Amino acid sequence: MTSVTKSATGFLPRARFQQLIDLLVEDGRTVIGPKVADGAIVYGELRSVADLPKGMGAEQRPGAYHLHDRGDDRLFAYAVGPTSWKRFVFPPTLDTAESRRDENGHVSFGRVRHEIPKLAFLGVRACELAALGIEDRVFLGGPYTDEDYRARRSSAFIVAVQCAEPASTCFCASMGTGPGVRDGHDLSLVELADGFLVSPGSPAGSALFERLDLIDAATDQLTAASDQLVSARDRIGDPIVAAGLHDRLLAQLDSPRWAEIAERCLACTNCTMSCPTCFCTSASQRSDLDGHVAVTERRWESCFTKGFSAVALGGNFRPRVQDRYRQWLTHKFASWIDQFGTSGCVGCGRCIAWCPAGIDIREELNHIAPPPQAALGNGHAPEGQPRATRVFRVDAARSETHDTVTLALSRPEGMDWASEHGEFVMVSVPAVGSVPISISRRLPTGMELTIRAVGPASTMLTGLEHGAEVGLSAPLGRGWPIEAAEGHDVVIVGGGMGLPPLRPVIDEIVEHRAKYGEVHIYHGARTPGDLLYTQELAAWAARGDLDVGVTVDRADQHWLGRVGIVTHLFDHARWDGSKAVAFVCGPQRMIQATINTLASHGITPDRVFVSMERHMECGVGLCGHCQMGPYFVCKDGPVFSLAQLGDAFGREGI
Amino acid sequence: MPETEAVMPRTDDNASLVALLNATWFGANLPPETQVRLAGLARRYQAGAGTTLLAEGQLANELGIVLSGRVSLRTLVPEEGWITILTVEPGDIFGQSAVVAPYRSTSTVVALQPVDVLALDGPGLRAALAADHDLAAELYPRLLQALARRLSATRLQMLDLFAR
Amino acid sequence: MARATTTPRPRLAVVKLASCDGCQLMLLDLEDHLLAIAERVDIVEFPEATSHRSSGPYDVVLVEGAVSTPEQLEQIHEIRREAKLLVTIGACATAGGIQAMRNWRDHDAFRAAVYAHPEYIESLATARPVADYVKVDAELRGCPINAEQLLEFLTALLTGRRPNLPDEAVCAACKRAGRVCVMVSQGIPCLGPVTMTGCGALCPGFDRGCYGCFGPREQANVTSLSRGFMHLGRTPAQAGRLFAGFTGYAEPFRDVITELGGVPGTSPAETPPAAGAVAPAAPVAPATPAAAGTAPHPGGRR
Repeated sequence: MTSVTKSATGFLPRARFQQLIDLLVEDGRTVIGPKVADGAIVYGELRSVADLPKGMGAEQRPGAYHLHDRGDDRLFAYAVGPTSWKRFVFPPTLDTAESRRDENGHVSFGRVRHEIPKLAFLGVRACELAALGIEDRVFLGGPYTDEDYRARRSSAFIVAVQCAEPASTCFCASMGTGPGVRDGHDLSLVELADGFLVSPGSPAGSALFERLDLIDAATDQLTAASDQLVSARDRIGDPIVAAGLHDRLLAQLDSPRWAEIAERCLACTNCTMSCPTCFCTSASQRSDLDGHVAVTERRWESCFTKGFSAVALGGNFRPRVQDRYRQWLTHKFASWIDQFGTSGCVGCGRCIAWCPAGIDIREELNHIAPPPQAALGNGHAPEGQPRATRVFRVDAARSETHDTVTLALSRPEGMDWASEHGEFVMVSVPAVGSVPISISRRLPTGMELTIRAVGPASTMLTGLEHGAEVGLSAPLGRGWPIEAAEGHDVVIVGGGMGLPPLRPVIDEIVEHRAKYGEVHIYHGARTPGDLLYTQELAAWAARGDLDVGVTVDRADQHWLGRVGIVTHLFDHARWDGSKAVAFVCGPQRMIQATINTLASHGITPDRVFVSMERHMECGVGLCGHCQMGPYFVCKDGPVFSLAQLGDAFGREGI
Repeated sequence: MPETEAVMPRTDDNASLVALLNATWFGANLPPETQVRLAGLARRYQAGAGTTLLAEGQLANELGIVLSGRVSLRTLVPEEGWITILTVEPGDIFGQSAVVAPYRSTSTVVALQPVDVLALDGPGLRAALAADHDLAAELYPRLLQALARRLSATRLQMLDLFAR
Repeated sequence: MARATTTPRPRLAVVKLASCDGCQLMLLDLEDHLLAIAERVDIVEFPEATSHRSSGPYDVVLVEGAVSTPEQLEQIHEIRREAKLLVTIGACATAGGIQAMRNWRDHDAFRAAVYAHPEYIESLATARPVADYVKVDAELRGCPINAEQLLEFLTALLTGRRPNLPDEAVCAACKRAGRVCVMVSQGIPCLGPVTMTGCGALCPGFDRGCYGCFGPREQANVTSLSRGFMHLGRTPAQAGRLFAGFTGYAEPFRDVITELGGVPGTSPAETPPAAGAVAPAAPVAPATPAAAGTAPHPGGRR
């Protein structure tokens, strides 16, 4: 309920409303608020009270939105339209980074800093305040943060206006976000027939409150405000039961309804684009013709676009529309809670009204995951940190196979490298962009990266020579929990390019051999020519205290080693898995076959650790691409235990 | 094809053949009478690296159990030459065509290293499997397991996972 | 270092089949960049800019136009042999263009109706996209193509990265641009949800539905969208006809046109609504071309 206390509430007669706009402008702010454009009430710059949608209402249904003239003087008698405030704190396109390469091959990387406009948001609804609160958790909750968002968000002055005319698409009451304005605003207004009740919600709001020519609010005005809110709430009703939705929905990953929805869903992205909390982005490079100066542009992206979940060489984890719809809905209402401690939905109904196919998520939720209820999730708010790209230098490039190269990279002077932990780095090349690469060896001076030329970016990286410079993020992600293997036998299975990420584990074992029991290292490759680190494998085998097995999928008659998939190396092995910890990396199908064989040796899922492949774009959990159920593979992984993954592992379209 | 080297037959008594059989994945933990019966069908031989033990299309007269060394199952692919599809490691079997009609080998089997092989006589084994249902009940699951493992491995190879 | 800057300039040719030349002109439209491009790319053949003709092989060939005549059919195979990278540009080359509307009809009747001496006109019974005949390495869609996409393609080619060519619906660009959905707010049928973006959602910015110039996007759900058009009061044939624009011959637009009876050359307004279809109280005109004279052409073609 609105906290309308007499002491902090004043009344602004309708005729004086311009004063509020004038004061905001006087403070150097551009006022953004509702106005009629293109047949809808959108948010745009307001100069005077005359710009506001006086007497306009908006009728909304699934797939339909129609303005109508109410025949009164009300300025805010409409429910939320197609625009959301996210556009003003999280711009649809934004240049985020700049990279350069000079004539000598020196590279440099920098963030693009924007002048942050001083805005005032006028007419923010309760559901929209909740949406901003959710975006705060996403972008500022950490571990990494979006500093551009922080700047825009903190510079905006927020004038909330109590919603009195909900649409048929609204369900904020079910989501617990409205219709009453509670917090998150600087000033809040309740529109009555002849003016506005005004109350401050922050120190900045109080300051403005003091400058307004207010008169005392009368008791009957407070009563009218309260009645108006009750009436709004009654009209919204409680169309979905949010309590327990998390568990109910996740229990229905195999519902036939997903495929039925996909027959109607256009995968057009309108729902995600108009959603006030959807935060996924993609980044692309824009450069001059020579690639000497490049800018990274970040733009809103949608999980409904097929390419969103694509990985190298045409793979895609969510190839069907039904996979993408399921991802969106289960993320919004379930895994969002696991990730951010709050639902991702505020019940504003935009995705219902603005779906050209008229799909109503309330109806779908009630169909897929009908009530009754259970419990909700947790929350976290770690310290935030921005991320920087630093220039590393190629010290050596060693050819591993015809298409794979190991680069030794040295860190910049003065970088505190020893304290940097993580499994992978984002490697940036001006004008080309960033690609995630697993660290294949940690060196005191830097690291090795083993890279296979599969696309233009990786082909370029494999062509780098001594002295070349690249940009690198600090190591990211959670790596192999080697400490879990201390005192245990260790089974390491690396298929193809799955071996390089495991090499730091082997290095650790070699360095502290006594800490571990029996150690088995298995490597499978496509052909003998594709085997990696062949000399190192031979040297490890020669130590006598490491069991090293190598196999290839196919071979010509000159190969005298083993032929068969990687599990062929330990199908008949006699070691006892009940004392072992396994680390597995490779293509997902190979991992699947491997864990079956590991299970037959008695290794339980909590002691099998696997590295998951996903489309990683930002590397720090902000762009949304790499989600897998409740996890962001980049920041929560890429290494997970099988027990952690549960039935998400290997599930189609997840 | 590599040049064929001499195959050295060995004469082992029945008891030592049983012991050898028991030390393999395929033959371990069979009932003693079954092991004795199989040993009666077995001969042991050794062959040098490069020896062709069985050629594709030939009658597979023996089911081989690798005691030591490594053999490859190969097939001739036009323009690619001899491609090894799978290697058979100690304990595992080759020449299972000896118990599957029409008893002709589906690949060419070549020793990659010096090998020690326990070979069960094909016609004798078939007759034993047909006549002795207890023996069949013990042996077929192992044959099936070996084949099933090969089938699923071959599927994964077909997917050419590492090409991606 | 990653790339030697002394690599020879890639040889680029622009080739025209059955088309209006509008797409080639977009290359000239890159005015500010044209000199820089010419320094880095050896433009050896470009009928709209030079009469000079040179022979292959070429590193890149930009092919404009549909394959409409026997001569063009021969030509496209020859180009394929000469081109390391064959890139089709524009709706004609990638989808058949408007001339592909004849593919539904009797070709000889058209020929006789249009030309005084049809016997002198050698043309194939169908006008088809280049990819129906030869392997295409990349395509730039649109009618005409988007100059920025062309520049992006050339930049990516020169800097050795993958070009950023979108695979998303026009809707995504429309929403980023802050446009209001014309279908939801005004009931105007719009092909945006099934069309590949690239134009910056030009038409919805002029209160018009998308015409589909950039052709179908991946997994375009034309069935659901055509149901939506019928829900807005269109007969099935009218709904089908809405797909029959510059890229109407591209799958799955082609199918939905045929399936709903919206084949060009028929009169969809006269087609009675199918049983069960939502029939409006008053006849609704096909929404797209009626006001074409009052707004700039969406593609900005000259």
